Amino acid sequence: MTSDKSFFDFISNGLPGPELREDADNAILPARQLAFSRFRALGLPSVKTEEWRYTNIQRFLKDSFSLAQEEGTITAEQLKTVNTKIPQLDSYTAVLVNGRLQIALSKLPAEGKITISKLSDAANNTQLQLWFDKHPHLQQQPFAALNAALFADGLFIEAGQNASLDKPLHIIHIYTTAENAFIQPRHLLVLHKGATLEIVESSVGMNETAIAFVNSVTEIILEENAELWHYNLQSSEKNSRHIYHTSTVQKADSRYHHFNFTLPSAELTRNNLSVALTGSNTETNLHGLYLATDEQHVDNHTFVDHLVPNCNSNELYKGVLLDNSNGVFTGKIHVHQDAQKTNAFQQNNNLLMSEKASINSQPQLEIYADDVKCSHGFTVGRFSEESLFYLRSRGIGEEAAKTLLVNAFAFDITDQVHIPALQDFLSEKIRKYVSGAINN
Amino acid sequence: MRNSNEIIDDIANKEYEFGFTTDIEMDIAPVGLNEDTIRFISAKKQEPEWLLEWRLKGFAAFKKMKFPNWQHFKMPELDLQKLSYYAAPKEKKKLNSLDEVDPELLATFDKLGISLKEQKVLAGVAVDVVFDSVSVATTYRAKLEELGIIFCSFGEAVKHHPELVKKYLGTVVPHSDNIFAALNAAVFSDGSFVYIPKGVRSPMELSTYFRINAENTGQFERTLIIADESAYVSYLEGCTAPKRDENQLHAAVVELVALDHGEIKYSTVQNWYPGDKDGNGGIFNFVTKRGICKGNSSKISWTQVETGSAITWKYPSVILQGDNSEGEFYSVAVTRNKQIADTGTKIYHLGKNTRSRIISKGISAGHSDNTYRGLVQVGPRAANARNYTQCDSLLIGDRCGAHTFPYIESRNSTATVEHEATTSKIGEDQIFYLNQRGIETEKAVALIVNGYAKEVLNQLPMEFAVEAQKLLSITLEGSVG
Amino acid sequence: MLTIKNLHAEVDGKKILKGINLEIKRGEMHAIMGPNGSGKSSLSSVLAGRENYTVTEGEVIFEGKNLLDLSPENRAREGIFLAFQYPVEIPGVSNLNFLKTALNEIRTYHGLAPIEAKEFLKLTKEKQQLVDFNANLMNRSLNEGFSGGEKKRNEVFQLAMLDPKLAILDETDSGLDIDALRIVAAGVNKLRSADKAFMVITHYQRLLDYIVPDFVHVLYDGRIVKTGNKELALELEEKGYDWLKEEVHQKESV
Repeated sequence: MTSDKSFFDFISNGLPGPELREDADNAILPARQLAFSRFRALGLPSVKTEEWRYTNIQRFLKDSFSLAQEEGTITAEQLKTVNTKIPQLDSYTAVLVNGRLQIALSKLPAEGKITISKLSDAANNTQLQLWFDKHPHLQQQPFAALNAALFADGLFIEAGQNASLDKPLHIIHIYTTAENAFIQPRHLLVLHKGATLEIVESSVGMNETAIAFVNSVTEIILEENAELWHYNLQSSEKNSRHIYHTSTVQKADSRYHHFNFTLPSAELTRNNLSVALTGSNTETNLHGLYLATDEQHVDNHTFVDHLVPNCNSNELYKGVLLDNSNGVFTGKIHVHQDAQKTNAFQQNNNLLMSEKASINSQPQLEIYADDVKCSHGFTVGRFSEESLFYLRSRGIGEEAAKTLLVNAFAFDITDQVHIPALQDFLSEKIRKYVSGAINN
Repeated sequence: MRNSNEIIDDIANKEYEFGFTTDIEMDIAPVGLNEDTIRFISAKKQEPEWLLEWRLKGFAAFKKMKFPNWQHFKMPELDLQKLSYYAAPKEKKKLNSLDEVDPELLATFDKLGISLKEQKVLAGVAVDVVFDSVSVATTYRAKLEELGIIFCSFGEAVKHHPELVKKYLGTVVPHSDNIFAALNAAVFSDGSFVYIPKGVRSPMELSTYFRINAENTGQFERTLIIADESAYVSYLEGCTAPKRDENQLHAAVVELVALDHGEIKYSTVQNWYPGDKDGNGGIFNFVTKRGICKGNSSKISWTQVETGSAITWKYPSVILQGDNSEGEFYSVAVTRNKQIADTGTKIYHLGKNTRSRIISKGISAGHSDNTYRGLVQVGPRAANARNYTQCDSLLIGDRCGAHTFPYIESRNSTATVEHEATTSKIGEDQIFYLNQRGIETEKAVALIVNGYAKEVLNQLPMEFAVEAQKLLSITLEGSVG
Repeated sequence: MLTIKNLHAEVDGKKILKGINLEIKRGEMHAIMGPNGSGKSSLSSVLAGRENYTVTEGEVIFEGKNLLDLSPENRAREGIFLAFQYPVEIPGVSNLNFLKTALNEIRTYHGLAPIEAKEFLKLTKEKQQLVDFNANLMNRSLNEGFSGGEKKRNEVFQLAMLDPKLAILDETDSGLDIDALRIVAAGVNKLRSADKAFMVITHYQRLLDYIVPDFVHVLYDGRIVKTGNKELALELEEKGYDWLKEEVHQKESV
């Protein structure tokens, strides 16, 4: 399409031709068509849509975007300038540009029980056919439906039975475009029985003038007894907008540890994280830290769906809102009638550090089983004046004291990070952004 | 000992204890809703022109509105054209004292355990009775008049204190607030009016007992309470309705206004007919209650014990406009059989140093669904605002639902908002402990639930607290094994 | 070292200090006593720079500088240390990280390079032993879950680490049993030196059995109404504060 047409005009005209999808393979074409009609039926959300009441998404879609997703290749030299390095992180890397895996720029583990490839190369893989666009929570999400209809490519990771890696895999997502573009990557991770993986994802943009609107979907399947440590670092340039969907299915005895760090400066970040617990005795830990500056709008929607008995879920999201930033948290715990002996906890704490910052929160419990222990909590406030005074009375300046207190506030989250290099990286980022905002 | 299923079946089959109708000749408006209905009501009540116009504005707003869709239950099919919008007991003459009240009506209240005479003697409670929309008896009025307190039916207030009604009517709940409030504005029949003048503390609790009697009538009463500067009033509202096979709509509006240092405490014990065990019949209790702390250092406190109605759907709210003003919401909601409750509060912090406290206890049994929904909003001017919210849900049996949907919106960095919620089932070990001490399961459940709800029940005036406790015990009798 | 002249201060419009005059020299140990609500803790708060106190009159000169012009952190960097009556708990901030930050901020202020990690650990160990502070508490979050005694000992340990010129001990004895009191007092005594001064605020004479003062001042209704030596403390212990109150009121009525 041409960029002079608005996004709205475009999507009202039906499923675009294959030139926008670029996968020659038609194996999932019927699924794409189905997804597109689902998108048409759901329509674009507005603030009147309960799920979007605190994020006026139409405001961010006003500009015209190209749906043709450029290859946007980058050179090894350019890669060095991209700010995704986590010092001292010893890892394999997978570099993706606009959702396309760049083997030459990546450092993938030797071929073995773990397959890492382009999603388009996995078109005939039974796992893709089994799982593509099947996650129940994606069915009601208009942007996930749009992604299923139009995604260009993404990453496919399959870890065989009892497979594991000797170090983490760092997935670097780079988004670069010459004109405003709606970029739609889609990833699928399948961990078979007993497999264990540790994944760090970083997202960055390389755009100075054009706006990259990223609408990404990641589907994760954890088979019996699989374990995934999943760290997601979001720090993109100011004029980028992101809607991320991460939908995980957990089978019996599996363990999922998700960490979401949203840092400056993308103007919109909307995370839809959902976990469906379909097997018993699972463990789910969802940790989130959002630190927003400037005019950033950060919206975290999480959904933990307890479908079967004896599962534990634990969720802690913390927000630090500086400048004119705006935070949204909506977390739902749904315990179905059969999900007896569920333990589900959820907590959302926020620090408002500026007069203009704001937070909207909806912690939700929807419970249909009686033998359960469920709770949620929410707080918003500023620093304890007493703590600040105590630190200052020991000679620590206001800026250093505030940084210390923000790090202390985030400690419950950062302390759970199992990679020391990542822990240090985050503390440093917090220090940088907090002192930056104070000095503004 | 009986197993838990048997006991749960028991409670599901329990009869509504307050289901009886009173045979009194009624004066009923023709079925249907149009401008003529509204003119009929207004004329019947000999209202001034300005009030008729206000009603018509409400009707115009109503016609443009649709039923909401965000609630956590399936909206029942309501045919508002099939209701009759006015029902008054046919009275031959004006009543001067309780002795003149229809003896059958008084007997109804006796059955409810709130004999006016008894209350008059024992409790010193002034009671304004709303019987299918029209206020028929007001006690203690003379004594209150000495202090300048106005406590009368809404209709009388329109006649005798039009300036006060005109000044405050619709200022807290506008005629176009929501579809049910608009409907109420158009067709409201009667209700209570209270005005407490400057510096006066009402020496007694003021009380209204609502009761829906006629078939196919909606009850649309409207209550307006004003506490002038440094005034105080505690107001009690009790509700019961007879057993019917059809659903009945109750769409009341309550407006509270507290001026500087004024305080209003509003307590409700709601026991409308909940329908039978299969969910047939029962009241749709769709009520708009809102108060405004208009003045500095004013206070509004809502306490509600909700055990009845097929569907309870209401959010008694407080707008904290004055600096240093304070709002409270204490609630116990019990649902069983196929009852539905979607209730909670909305607190708007607008002024500086405003404080609010929300304590909600939901108890679900049978196949019922019980939802807390609440909004705490802190505006940019509300420096140092403070809110604390605690929502607990108790599940009795594994076929019911308990849900907590708070909305928290903070736009001031100096504000502190805290929300906590838990969901658990009634403790088997607690019941066993009490059994072991010789207390049967039914009593044990009643004891535990009353303990669980204590923080809220403690907010009720003494006479009401006893009644509410009894109500909780009766409602949940023998619900767990 | 410290000169307080006619100091008046208020909180929320309420007058708390009504004309304090006090001179403290190097090496001296001053005890401030007085009944509850006389303004003892307020004096320490004003000196440390707590923001809700407003100084309405008077001045405070510390080492030639106008103390009241300085932010709380700069007062600390100039050498004023307040041992809090109720030290705050700060979860997530480790004791060690906190101390290192404080020490380095003070050093930077005085144009010194940040302390070497090795040097810092050595200093920590040395001071820990000096004031008998449990090493296990070092890696825990600041005061979090500490007992009352542990918190007070942490205050004395910080005092040893930051090495101020003037240490103000605000009711450090409150909430301590006799054994804990002895340990805290022994720590303070070890830190006494010819170029350091102390201001010990206490309600009871008990602490002064272990920390012997050079001067005892009695604060009443926002003013110092009597000054003496350690004998005065004993007299107060024996007779209470009432006789002093009467004396003040008699003077005022004359």
